[in-house]
Amino acid sequence: MSEISFPGTAVTDRRAAHGASADARLLRRISALQPVRLLVIGLSIAILLALIAYPLALLTGYSLIDAQGHLTFETFEKAFARRGMWQATVNSGWLVFFVTAGACALGIPLAWLVARTDAPGKSLVTLAAGISFVIPTFISVISWIFLAAPNSGYLNRLATGYLGFSSAPLNIMSFTGLVFIEIVGVYPLVFFAVNAALNNIDASHEQAARILGANRWRTTLTITLPMVRPAILSAVILVMLDALSSFGAPAAIGTMANFSVITTKIYDLLKFPPQFNYAAAVAMPILIFTAISLLIQKYAVRAENFRTLTGKATPEQIVKLGHWRWLAGGFCIVVALITAVLPVGALLLLSVLSSFGAPISLANLVGKHYALIFDENFAARASILHSMLLALAAATVCATLGLVLGWVVERFRFFGRELIGFLVMIAYGFPSIAYAVGILMGYVNLFYGTLTLILIAYAGKLLPIAFVLVRNGIQQLSTDLEEAARISGAGWLRSIKDVTFPLVRGSVGIAWVLVFSLSLRELSMSAILAQSDTQVMPTVVLQFIEDGAVELAAALAVIIVGVSLSMLAFIRLVTARKTATIS
Amino acid sequence: MPATAFAHEAAAAKPAAAPQAPARLELRNLRKSLGATAAVNGIDLKVAPGESVVLLGPSGCGKTTTLRMVAGFLQPDGGEVHLDGVLSSSATFALPPEKRRLGMVFQTYAIWPHKTVADNVAYGLEVAGRRRAEIRAEVAAVLDLVQLGALANRFPAELSGGQQQRVALARALATKPSLLLLDEPLSNLDASLREEMRFELRALQKNLGITTLYVTHDQDEALVLADRIVVMNKGRIEQIGTPEEVYRTPATRFVGSFIGIANLLEGEIATVDRAGERVLVALDIGGRVWSRAPRSWLDGAVTGGRATVLLRPQDIELEAAEHPGAEQPIAAAFLSESFLGEHYELKLAAGEALLRVQSRRRGTFADGRAQLWARPGSAWVVA
Ligand SMILES: Nc1ncnc2c1ncn2[C@@H]1O[C@H](COP(=O)(O)OP(=O)(O)O)[C@@H](O)[C@H]1O
Ligand SMILES: [Mg+2]
Repeated sequence: MSEISFPGTAVTDRRAAHGASADARLLRRISALQPVRLLVIGLSIAILLALIAYPLALLTGYSLIDAQGHLTFETFEKAFARRGMWQATVNSGWLVFFVTAGACALGIPLAWLVARTDAPGKSLVTLAAGISFVIPTFISVISWIFLAAPNSGYLNRLATGYLGFSSAPLNIMSFTGLVFIEIVGVYPLVFFAVNAALNNIDASHEQAARILGANRWRTTLTITLPMVRPAILSAVILVMLDALSSFGAPAAIGTMANFSVITTKIYDLLKFPPQFNYAAAVAMPILIFTAISLLIQKYAVRAENFRTLTGKATPEQIVKLGHWRWLAGGFCIVVALITAVLPVGALLLLSVLSSFGAPISLANLVGKHYALIFDENFAARASILHSMLLALAAATVCATLGLVLGWVVERFRFFGRELIGFLVMIAYGFPSIAYAVGILMGYVNLFYGTLTLILIAYAGKLLPIAFVLVRNGIQQLSTDLEEAARISGAGWLRSIKDVTFPLVRGSVGIAWVLVFSLSLRELSMSAILAQSDTQVMPTVVLQFIEDGAVELAAALAVIIVGVSLSMLAFIRLVTARKTATIS
Repeated sequence: MPATAFAHEAAAAKPAAAPQAPARLELRNLRKSLGATAAVNGIDLKVAPGESVVLLGPSGCGKTTTLRMVAGFLQPDGGEVHLDGVLSSSATFALPPEKRRLGMVFQTYAIWPHKTVADNVAYGLEVAGRRRAEIRAEVAAVLDLVQLGALANRFPAELSGGQQQRVALARALATKPSLLLLDEPLSNLDASLREEMRFELRALQKNLGITTLYVTHDQDEALVLADRIVVMNKGRIEQIGTPEEVYRTPATRFVGSFIGIANLLEGEIATVDRAGERVLVALDIGGRVWSRAPRSWLDGAVTGGRATVLLRPQDIELEAAEHPGAEQPIAAAFLSESFLGEHYELKLAAGEALLRVQSRRRGTFADGRAQLWARPGSAWVVA
């Protein structure tokens, strides 16, 4: 082994520097400021302000300030005095109510069945929930038109033709139909949240109650349910916000069934000639509702301690259902059938059926809709390219910003740190359609009719998802790990590159893929921001539906769902392998 | 032996041998508030090259805060940190941690889970831009030093707690830092390993001659590891001294009772013997004891004044030996006795006070009572 002696040179160097020139001292001062760190952080915060704070401020401003620059509530009065506006607001209210109630009624029992019982078909439910979560409502509308349109829907034809119904029993082109589609779209939020919470309750909590003499049902009611209450509450808030700001299905069904909700009214107000201040005013109720919900979330839900839920469920917690398990299994299968198998099957079938209404036979299966979509002279092809480009760019921007901002919020103590998290979360709760109005007002002069305008909207709206994921990843990293790198001589950027990034790479990757998938299916903002040269897949799908070309809509939708699903499957694969190597 | 192959610059440079060198670390009136608490409230300390200084105090007394200010992770509210005579931190200036040439062993070890043992240890050398071959040799040397040579290519998840602790140590030593910081490095180990590691760390520190600032709340650890112990309480320094000094001649009641077990007995000064640097104290619970005292205190001592006498359990004798005539025994009633292997631990009551006594032999008591004597020269007056 080589003889290693300690060279004292570095120490003497430093002593020399100490005694010597003012230059060295200045250099020390500058390096103490850590300029790279300041630059990166400052830039990220500037982008955050431009993406989120600026459009929101504009939106509020437009709704409250008249043409002369005076504070006024007149805009509200006028906006809500418009014909049908009040009815639209009431419709939105009912929609939120029914969808939330339905999602809970479906999601909570299912979560319990899957997490805590021996019901057969459990994995089927999880898979179905995953699939219906991935399919946006403006796409499931296509399937349900195919299945349950008043006269031509295939289920209705089955009912009248073979089951002896005298008239068509199902009508998707109605408010009830809309509620149904929305419930199927959002119940996975409740299901996954409650299921995860149930899985994370340490068996010992329940065992302690059992030891003290409580039977299984009493334990479930007094220990288990209260422990998952925060999860239910958060999910309920998410579902409410989702229902309130939903646009795709209401637009598609509303046009045909002739009713409006707030979001579709906003969309109408922005058609030519756009009435920005009315649109902004109409968006305000959604905004206020969102703000209140987020405050409730922050104070009511956070007050209950999530941190106790870090255990692992064990086989002892599984309830044996006995004879009931077949009933439960049947329920699981029906849910899977209705929320996933039927819609996906219908979509695939419709996309290759020669025309909607044609009998289902081998002779009628054709590929011409796909051929048309990829036809060079047809608008759909360009939209695929646009969507892919936008998704790539948005995912990259969000993952990068999420990493830097997540680090800043978790690691950097300064005034306004909380504000970053707050701003990002506002963007999260902010209804897409209102946000798009803000973006339009803020950047229309700079980027009118360009993909950049849409990218700004996607990045701002989806940043929270990346931020939360990466931030959680960083939160779980002990600060010591980075500090150890600093002490070893690595500067800030290098410690991020060598330690932080490799350790949160999983979260960053998941964030990237999620933002990519969500960008592909984003409709509400795209509908407002896309011009004829910048159409994206979802806007083209909606156009097809409104034009009655449901077969083309189905074919394009299959492409969206296919890409999204394969991206998500890819994450699962990668994360599964990653956890295998780390633990 | 590997320890010599990996010698530090200051191996021979004991404090006395380098009279000209500035202190390796100097803290001047260092202060830091965290939230509403004054976590560190005016600390002055000098650490000489090659010296091992231990910050000892109860949990929450500001040890970690002090260490993190030295490392540059926290900026002081007031006062200054000097490293090798160069200002490194003040309320208005902070040299970034990576510019301080320090090594640090974290309580959590902070081993990077995505790097192998060798890569963890090599990191500091890579950052410093050393050549690959050089790095490989040094990593091998330092891993041998902590007896981890065979595990170089393992990942941290495949190591035991004790081995991870050694990796953390190796990583901190690899860059040959001018000052090694350790924050309760042994607190996550089990008792027997902790005991073993104490001595190993001390041997390593002495062999390498590396300057260390070591934080712990464990007095036994401090006694083994320190050239000097800094006893902290509530953000302040109570006493700085060698292990013998803080144990035998604690400056305050706090130090006396924090290090070792203390019987603190109040009494009245009966005789002042300035030449002998001692006083005779008539204890409130009965008995008279000759007790050494700090000189500064003696200057103000007068007959009839109050004094607090510290008596360690092992310095109390049950048998009447030859004692100077002025001393009188403490009469105490037997309460309980426990056998602890090396000795018996007795609890006795003298008036209101509870006395703890360690004895090699089992006590014999007539009617459950005993006469207690202080071992000559063992009693000490705390200010
Ligand atoms: N981030 C913080 N915010 C508020 N108070 C803190 C924070 N960190 C530590 N403290 C307080 O500062 C004091 C000193 O803490 P610390 O230096 O960690 O103590 P030690 O390491 O000696 O146990 C404690 O009273 C602790 O409660
Ligand atoms: Mg501590």
